[in-house]
Amino acid sequence: MALPDKLKKFLFPSINRRYITRILLLSLNCYLIFTYILIPMRIQGESMEPTYRNESFAFCWRPQYLFSDIKRFDIVTIRFTGKSIMLLKRVIALPGETLEFRQGILYIDGKQTQEPYVKYHTPWNLPPRKIRADHVYVVGDNRGTLMSRHTFGQVQIKRVLGGVIP
Amino acid sequence: MNIKIGTVLVIILALIAILLYPNDEKEIRKNLETLAEYCSSPKGEATLAIVKKGAMAAKLCTDPCMVQMESFHINRELSKKEFTNHMLTMKRMLPETHFTFHDTTVIFPEEHFAELTTTLKITGKVTNDRFTNAYELNIHTKKIDGDWLFSSFSVIEFMEQ
Repeated sequence: MALPDKLKKFLFPSINRRYITRILLLSLNCYLIFTYILIPMRIQGESMEPTYRNESFAFCWRPQYLFSDIKRFDIVTIRFTGKSIMLLKRVIALPGETLEFRQGILYIDGKQTQEPYVKYHTPWNLPPRKIRADHVYVVGDNRGTLMSRHTFGQVQIKRVLGGVIP
Repeated sequence: MNIKIGTVLVIILALIAILLYPNDEKEIRKNLETLAEYCSSPKGEATLAIVKKGAMAAKLCTDPCMVQMESFHINRELSKKEFTNHMLTMKRMLPETHFTFHDTTVIFPEEHFAELTTTLKITGKVTNDRFTNAYELNIHTKKIDGDWLFSSFSVIEFMEQ
């Protein structure tokens, strides 16, 4: 069965200058998008379970906070020295707020705050602390692990690389 | 046509020469990779190999070498022997681990001295549980007798509970 001409041309294009230019432009676009704008991430670790499972896949969306501020309960990516290794955490307190954990329950400015995304609980206790200006307080969704084994705390907003998709 | 091919060939050769030409930054980066290799422990690594790797890792550092790691309660200069002992203890505690450095930048504030910022990723297994940890490090290196040696390691604690 012979393929229609149009389909044949689409599937097996002749390699000419125009075709090579298109391939080069497409490659350049992919490189720029997936390196600087929508960075693919493989999640390693269980600190964000059950929202993000170990070995699952997501994208870091860099423009997320270009025109908007970080909101409470946003999931953000936090950089180390570059974009290869990032922390995936949830923002639970904003600059100027006071945060506290009592028996695993979050208190912001002394008021109990519901965290519907937390499915695994252990009685975390953390004395009240004020979040500094230009900082946010981030923590993972998996509170089933001991506090001592969890990476969390206040971090400078400039360390936040972007949001997460999906 | 021949001129065109010749020009392309010259450009390619020049690029290869630039890539392969040894320089201080390349040597430092290579040392960092070697250090990561010495710190890593494959499954069932022989005791002799562990001791040898510990000693080889210490050879990449000055004597003494400053180590500042608040999370591990180390904040002092370590002699070569102490450095090796710490390495061996770590390797015994974490018998199946893999160290890698990422996003490394090297700057030369003065002659024979370089400052590195890098991300150390440690993946491994402890009692059947897999773990992944990452640390931001600031490393100093000094050129002594033609060799670049690590003179200080400090963990940058950017997250405060």
